[in-house]
Amino acid sequence: MSKQLDIKYRDKEYKLEFTRKSVEIMERQGFVASDVDEKPMTVLPALFAGAFIANHRYINSKLIEEIYEHMRNKKELIGKLTEMYNEPINALLDEPEDEEGNAEWTASW
Amino acid sequence: MDGELVSSSPSYEKEGEYKNSSSFVTYTEKFYADFPYYLSIGMTYDLYWNGDASLPIYYRKADKMRNDRKNQEMWLQGAYIYDALCCVSPIFNPLAPKGTKAIPYISEPYALTKEEAKDKKEKNEIKNDAKALNFMEIFMIENNKKFAKKNTENTGGENNG
Repeated sequence: MSKQLDIKYRDKEYKLEFTRKSVEIMERQGFVASDVDEKPMTVLPALFAGAFIANHRYINSKLIEEIYEHMRNKKELIGKLTEMYNEPINALLDEPEDEEGNAEWTASW
Repeated sequence: MDGELVSSSPSYEKEGEYKNSSSFVTYTEKFYADFPYYLSIGMTYDLYWNGDASLPIYYRKADKMRNDRKNQEMWLQGAYIYDALCCVSPIFNPLAPKGTKAIPYISEPYALTKEEAKDKKEKNEIKNDAKALNFMEIFMIENNKKFAKKNTENTGGENNG
């Protein structure tokens, strides 16, 4: 099951997710994935709006901005949206077949 | 985020040439590069572009299972062909004596699971028991006939004597 964000705003429910098509549309509109690391808070509104494309394509952009303004905990939101945005590409990447010989890695955060 | 990606999925350019997946600049390029592969393993356009983002993982696993099963079936077919050739090989021998016959081909398929093997063994045991019983009954009848005949001869001899 793909990662989804459920939002309830003014008694309406919105299901946010990224599909390969919605990522393609965002990139066509000029969205650059590397900006999420370099300038996360700058791209957050665009990332948030892009998450509506899959299931709420024709929603008014002013409404999206309004919902965004009322979203709490934006710091956690950027992390979740980034994970969701990368899911379509990560699903295309194979895991190494053999157990032996793989590189071990740990993160410092 | 780094646009370079590492993948072992097959990637093809429009001309059909293989492209190194680490040279993709955008996610879209990678999506289009892998699209033919997922079409070839049964994923539809709509599922790939608009469906659940994690579906390709399961399509790849399903394709691997399909290939493993096909490989197993072909191996099994090879085993049956090998058996058949072994059975008829005596008659292919040009130096075989006249009247040489082929060995009968196996009368039922191989047991592929433990339960099938157990069933087969039980059936064979029942069959062998029935054969043995039949043999014993015939032997008993023949023996009884012999004894009866002998008794008749002895009794007849005593009466005459």
